[in-house]
Amino acid sequence: MGEAAAPETVVVIDDDYAMRLSCCKILSKMGFRVEAFEDGTRGLEGVGRLKPGLIVVDLKMPGISGIEVISRVHEIDPQITIVVITGYATIDTAVEAMKCGAYDFLPKPFSPDELRLIVNRGLERRRLSLESQQCEIERALLKRRFVTFVSHQLRTPLVAIHQYLDVLKHLGDTADVAAKREEWIDRCLKRAEELQSLIADWLTLARVEGGTLMKERIKVDLSQLLPGILKTYEEMAAAEGVSLQVALPEAPLCVGGDWNCLTVLFDNLITNGIKYNRPGGKVTVAGWLSEGEVVVTVADTGVGIPEKYRPFLFDEFFRIKDDGAKKTTGTGLGLHISKRIVSEMGGSLDLESEPGVGSTFRVRVPAWHEADSAITGSSE
Amino acid sequence: MTPAAKRILIVDDDRDFVEATQAFLEANGFTVLRAHNGRDGVKLARMERPDLILMDIMMDERTEGFFTIQEMRRQEDLKGVPIFVLSALYAQMPDFGNPPDRAWLAHDEFLSKPVDMVQLVEKIRQRIGQPA
Repeated sequence: MGEAAAPETVVVIDDDYAMRLSCCKILSKMGFRVEAFEDGTRGLEGVGRLKPGLIVVDLKMPGISGIEVISRVHEIDPQITIVVITGYATIDTAVEAMKCGAYDFLPKPFSPDELRLIVNRGLERRRLSLESQQCEIERALLKRRFVTFVSHQLRTPLVAIHQYLDVLKHLGDTADVAAKREEWIDRCLKRAEELQSLIADWLTLARVEGGTLMKERIKVDLSQLLPGILKTYEEMAAAEGVSLQVALPEAPLCVGGDWNCLTVLFDNLITNGIKYNRPGGKVTVAGWLSEGEVVVTVADTGVGIPEKYRPFLFDEFFRIKDDGAKKTTGTGLGLHISKRIVSEMGGSLDLESEPGVGSTFRVRVPAWHEADSAITGSSE
Repeated sequence: MTPAAKRILIVDDDRDFVEATQAFLEANGFTVLRAHNGRDGVKLARMERPDLILMDIMMDERTEGFFTIQEMRRQEDLKGVPIFVLSALYAQMPDFGNPPDRAWLAHDEFLSKPVDMVQLVEKIRQRIGQPA
């Protein structure tokens, strides 16, 4: 879908011949396929035919006005990016154009560099928004098919287990099967475990939907909790060739929360860090006190999260489907649940990520004050 | 010389399901080819022209199988290769069991997952004959 494909088409609509000519020259040199039209009617006809990614349109033209061109173009395709050219005298109109959905405007006279910059930015924004739209559609579809989706997820491991057992039963003691029996039984156990954790996730989600994730708010020392959680993942990490590191202060790092919820939260972040890592990589859990807040980061050295996915990362059912990423298992609920937990604690969960380098999830929650123990429930 | 074993292509993204099914089919004298997504399935099918194809529907949580079947049906070199759908979808959508419109569904047989292996082998034999 990138540069190797056909060049992006850009349409220029301007009644000024010299302007059309220079825009065409600059844009063609950038590698775009450019077509110019001298008025709105012809321009719109061209847009319908050429399906451009971006349009440069003059606001002041005889016939159909630039403003009208904008709305008509967006009737054809709302994803077309529109850049408006305008004289100084019509800045007000430019603002109106922006309100009508133009992406940006260029006051005349402008330099070739200014045009190049704005066109590149406009097309980049379009690319991101198209990708986001695609993600959004897929996710919406998934939600609508909730029941099908859940039952398929639950049934898949069950089918695998059933099939192994069926074959073991029918083929009995033949030599081929004897050699594989142990491996198959191990696989059955693994898939049964998968089923268990799927069910646990769904139950947690049901509780989230009910709005009662946190049962209590007590003093929890993360300096104690986190090493304990990490220990339970040593085996999983070793199997993936990932090392676990921890950087916590000697002193207690206390927050007010629910022990189980906090465990679910860091379970999710740490398992993600292990799953989306590379052999030889590491997951580092660090924690510190900062201005009345406890900050915990879980950093991996994995594939990173492409920008286009970030707006959806904390949505329920969202899972990254990239050829680069390993085959994922799970419900796509982990981060959604995590975010809900942190919010209920009055904190925030966010992400820094660089594709190819890794991702860092940062949890910020208010530090525990002894006075909190007197307060029951949250009252913000 | 016995005639060459019949070749079955399994297209399914669950490796455990493929592993178990493959073992049973091989024990029954078939040769098994495997693909784990629709795209590889079509590629392998065209390259090897198997005697029969077993196709999953919900691969990677999408109904990729339907499109794969359509793609295979468009291929001239795969004309006449029977396609059996094996899917857990059946329970939700009983329509699939009895395709009213072959042009749309275009598969030859529908078996619900988990698959009764003995029945599967019987149906395969009915369709393409006894393996050597």
